[in-house]
Amino acid sequence: MPNEKNEEVVEFTQSRLEDLIQALAYAAIDDFDACMALMKGTLVGDSFATLEGGFTDFLSMLVGAKADLNDALVRAEESNRQLENQLETIERQQAAIRELSTPIIEVWAGVLCLPVVGIVDSQRSAEMTETLLEMIVAKQARTAIVDITGIDAMDTKTADHFIKMAKAVRLLGADCILSGINPGIAQTLTHIGVDLTGIRTLRNLRDALQVFLRE
Amino acid sequence: MVTSSDPGRPVEALVDPVAPRPVERVFPVRAMGDVLIVRKRAQELAVQFGLGSRRATELAIAVSELATNIVKYGIHGEVVVILDPETGVRGGIRVVARDVGPPIRNLEIALQDGCDDTGPIDPTLVLRRGGLGTGLGAVLRFADLFEYQQGETGKAIIVTFHR
Repeated sequence: MPNEKNEEVVEFTQSRLEDLIQALAYAAIDDFDACMALMKGTLVGDSFATLEGGFTDFLSMLVGAKADLNDALVRAEESNRQLENQLETIERQQAAIRELSTPIIEVWAGVLCLPVVGIVDSQRSAEMTETLLEMIVAKQARTAIVDITGIDAMDTKTADHFIKMAKAVRLLGADCILSGINPGIAQTLTHIGVDLTGIRTLRNLRDALQVFLRE
Repeated sequence: MVTSSDPGRPVEALVDPVAPRPVERVFPVRAMGDVLIVRKRAQELAVQFGLGSRRATELAIAVSELATNIVKYGIHGEVVVILDPETGVRGGIRVVARDVGPPIRNLEIALQDGCDDTGPIDPTLVLRRGGLGTGLGAVLRFADLFEYQQGETGKAIIVTFHR
């Protein structure tokens, strides 16, 4: 018997076949609710029902897989959004840090003051130069006072870069006054032997402001 | 070796005057904000350990340069500050800056001012890159000892500042 072909003729109504075709059409367009609703009423225990049952099983597995996929997609989108938020926060913080590390104040019309405090490394001195030169042009400043009272040590190359910054300020048609140089920095500056002609240095910020107000 | 995961704990509490042992602090470095934290803490630790204020600032600048390089080139890494009363004659501070990034291609060139590890930095690019290429040079000038190590998993620069 097992090798013998089953030649039994299965009879079923046209409407059941139409329902099955209709259900497949719904499944094809992702309308699983309508699809399941169509297949629900088919609980007749004949041979055609085996096909219907198989199709229904396949359908429910498909619905499950589809839901899992959607969940994964939602989770991926969520973590992507979180990552983008974090990156945005980091960028905002970096911008804030840059701004805080070079606070340039317009103390008088055309007079900019850059108080330098804390730790000055090569990156920060490069950023300071860029910001100060941009501000001089933007504010059409005549004088820039760079006060380094708060600095007790600086690398020779960074000090060199500071003097270059002062010279660049002069090239823009403004004066640059350095104030608050402490003994350590003074030694560093003379040690590197840079040309300090044309660079005005004053004892402190108060002297620098007074000189400007007198002129 | 005494280690502490709490960077806020005072050093005095960890340094035993009878049996001096190294105190180690680890600071993760991933972004520029971390650079600000580690250089400030390193400066405070150096002052507490007995370095002069100018020397402590120099150490902080070196830490800042090393940590900035981790952010720029090293993907991510950490800076370890080791206060060692037994190094050198009167004790000293070792700073280990290690990261998982690619090794320095040519240390000799990288140490030259105005250069990265491939050669001179184009002066017109200096501002755009936000660096002068003098960072490692500054570290070398300030430190009493400078050491470079590289392995399969990353690289480390170890500098020592004597008390």
